[in-house]
Amino acid sequence: MLEYQTQGFNGYAVKYSPFFDSRIAVASSANFGLVGNGRLYILGLTANGIQPEKWFDTQDSLYDTAWSEVHENQIVVACGDGSVKLFDISLDQYPIQSWQEHNREVYSVSWNLVSKDTFSSSSWDGTIKVWSPHRPQSILTLPTHSCTYSSAFSPHSQSILSSVSSDSHLRIFDLRTPPSASNHLVHLIPIHGGPPVPGMASRQSFQPSECLTHDWNKYRPNIIATAGVDTIIRTFDIRNPKAGPVAQLYGHEYAVRKLAWSPHLSDLLLSASYDMTCRVWTDGTSSTPGASGGAGREIGRLNRHTEFVTGVDWCLFGSEGWCASVSWDKRVLVWDARAVMGR
Amino acid sequence: MSAAQRLGQVSGHISGGRSDGGRAALLRKSPDDIVVTACLRTAFTKGGKGGFKDTAAADLLVGAFKSLIDRSKIDPALVEDIAVGSVLPPGGGATEFRAAALAAGFPVTAAVKALNRQCSSGLQACVDIANAIKSGMIEVGIGAGVESMSLQYGPGAVTEFSELLDSHPESKNCKVPMGVLSEQMAKDKGISRADQDAFAASSYQKAIKAQEAGLFDEEIAPLKVSWENPKTGEVQQITVSKDDGVRPGITAESLAKIKPAFAKDGSIHAGNASQISDGAAAVLLMKRSTAERLGQTILGKYVAASVAGVAPLLMGIGPWAAIPKVFEKTGINKDDVDIFEINEAFASQCVWCANELGIDQKKINPKGGAIAFGHPLGCTGARQVSTLLYELRRTGQKVGVTSMCVGTGMGMAAVWVAE
Repeated sequence: MLEYQTQGFNGYAVKYSPFFDSRIAVASSANFGLVGNGRLYILGLTANGIQPEKWFDTQDSLYDTAWSEVHENQIVVACGDGSVKLFDISLDQYPIQSWQEHNREVYSVSWNLVSKDTFSSSSWDGTIKVWSPHRPQSILTLPTHSCTYSSAFSPHSQSILSSVSSDSHLRIFDLRTPPSASNHLVHLIPIHGGPPVPGMASRQSFQPSECLTHDWNKYRPNIIATAGVDTIIRTFDIRNPKAGPVAQLYGHEYAVRKLAWSPHLSDLLLSASYDMTCRVWTDGTSSTPGASGGAGREIGRLNRHTEFVTGVDWCLFGSEGWCASVSWDKRVLVWDARAVMGR
Repeated sequence: MSAAQRLGQVSGHISGGRSDGGRAALLRKSPDDIVVTACLRTAFTKGGKGGFKDTAAADLLVGAFKSLIDRSKIDPALVEDIAVGSVLPPGGGATEFRAAALAAGFPVTAAVKALNRQCSSGLQACVDIANAIKSGMIEVGIGAGVESMSLQYGPGAVTEFSELLDSHPESKNCKVPMGVLSEQMAKDKGISRADQDAFAASSYQKAIKAQEAGLFDEEIAPLKVSWENPKTGEVQQITVSKDDGVRPGITAESLAKIKPAFAKDGSIHAGNASQISDGAAAVLLMKRSTAERLGQTILGKYVAASVAGVAPLLMGIGPWAAIPKVFEKTGINKDDVDIFEINEAFASQCVWCANELGIDQKKINPKGGAIAFGHPLGCTGARQVSTLLYELRRTGQKVGVTSMCVGTGMGMAAVWVAE
């Protein structure tokens, strides 16, 4: 396990570079992101541990970051002052672009993995915006009317975008649909809704609660995992939006802040929580030959953080278990998930 | 972008959303919210002499329904159920209200029910529809209320009590007339005539000011009816668009001259009790997701309601019992509420409830209440929704409560949020 201290800054998000297996970015904020500056760290994984390559300071807190999928030196950040900024890490100090359109804290940024020429941002102001690095204004604004903690492009289609928000709903937008009153919204899935029970008109459902994070499965184009304040991780199949969750994974003791599907194994999911743990899960659809499959369950846990864990990401390269986590404990940990897994 | 709000959000994540409960949670929008996309009422006119004195309750209802369809542009075929609160019609009104819905242009597929929870019938109708939408029984519905006190107010509205009921002390109290028991309650609770008159006068003054400023224009749908001129006996077609009970020049001093109505040494009189009136009101409800799909304008949302029982002889304290109950359900307190619409059945009970709950007088009935413009029993609860939501929207405020006392000893309250 490698460790790096983001002195004076509490971690909020971590992302591996899609171009280099030795480079990670960390979005962090002074004073737990409540008030004060933000800092974007670019860290190198070297034989001598984690070395800072560069950092960029911002006026307000940083809550998320996403690497450009076309330009290895470019990276966007989500700022507390409502701005979205694009940095070029070969330059010093200032962003090469700053877009000030959101009216409140921006909580997520996500690059389009298919067309690679756009990215999305989502904000407390109840909107999602789609941007091009080359344009001075956003291309599109999608309303959600509630604090949107996370938005993401589908890794399988360049025009499908999803979000989760404080209103306990998963939204799927298809940008190919004509603009209309529905603003490209094609599915509105209540995350708290239970699966239908045969013969019963109404279905068991949970109390609505804020949803803080979600991620698209990298192998199964219709599967999305969500999690948030009610501590339950759920997976949904968007081909059947009325069916309720496919899997429900119980274990976290406090809200789940971040989810990431493995880039290597289709059933493997990593989570970061306010309960100070990172956990590795299988959703029960094991693709490993010889594995029994069965119910989704926790298969490993990292207990090394000493504060809320806010971000996790998988390394896209090399052997199948390397990942990184950041926390309010001001530490970045780079570790091998296989070391904590019991299978 | 205050640090306090960010901190509130994070602590909400940890506590499961409870710490940022209360007002913030109320203002959050969800696709499952039950929203109001149109609400209106007819004018209220004086029982026996006002503009609606010759108009049947069902006809008032037809007028309210037609205006509701007109204003909301809702396809009437989408309305699955209509609940109408009404207190006085013999047989409950079920037959004529169904007929009224058909006459107003709803297709036969729109179901109708009549219900009666005395003075809260109109609110109960809205709550029933909201609950039916919440449970998935229907998608779009209307909560309404109507009363023709001109044509249906009288001793016939209550069935004779059996010996069994009369022999039970608390049941027997259910038939004590409102005025008589309120007089006794005012005496027991020590609500002075001066306090009642001051409250009543301010209701009149607020109402005339609001009427002159046109603040009722948004909620009132004008209605054309036939009216017999009592002097000439001639039947005229008139358009009623104003509450005729509202009048200028009423002060606590002028009210002080009126003789008590129920006891020689009493404190309640025609000037500090609600007026006997005719009127109808209707509220169109659906889920937010449905409203957005249909392109309906969202005026506000229904949050929660409560009902509480109290001793029949103390029916006036109903709001005092019901309001804290709905606060508990929604996690708010009186300071989170911008406007209270508390029905002024009698100045005595309304003043007592407000004082007991510690509600700021300025927040209560900012456009006046039933003392100034009338209380058509079953209609009032549905009327309050329009009065409240339009006033919240006009003043840029958000959270409102409607409440009323209920004959035979109950109270109801509901929380609404304007958007």
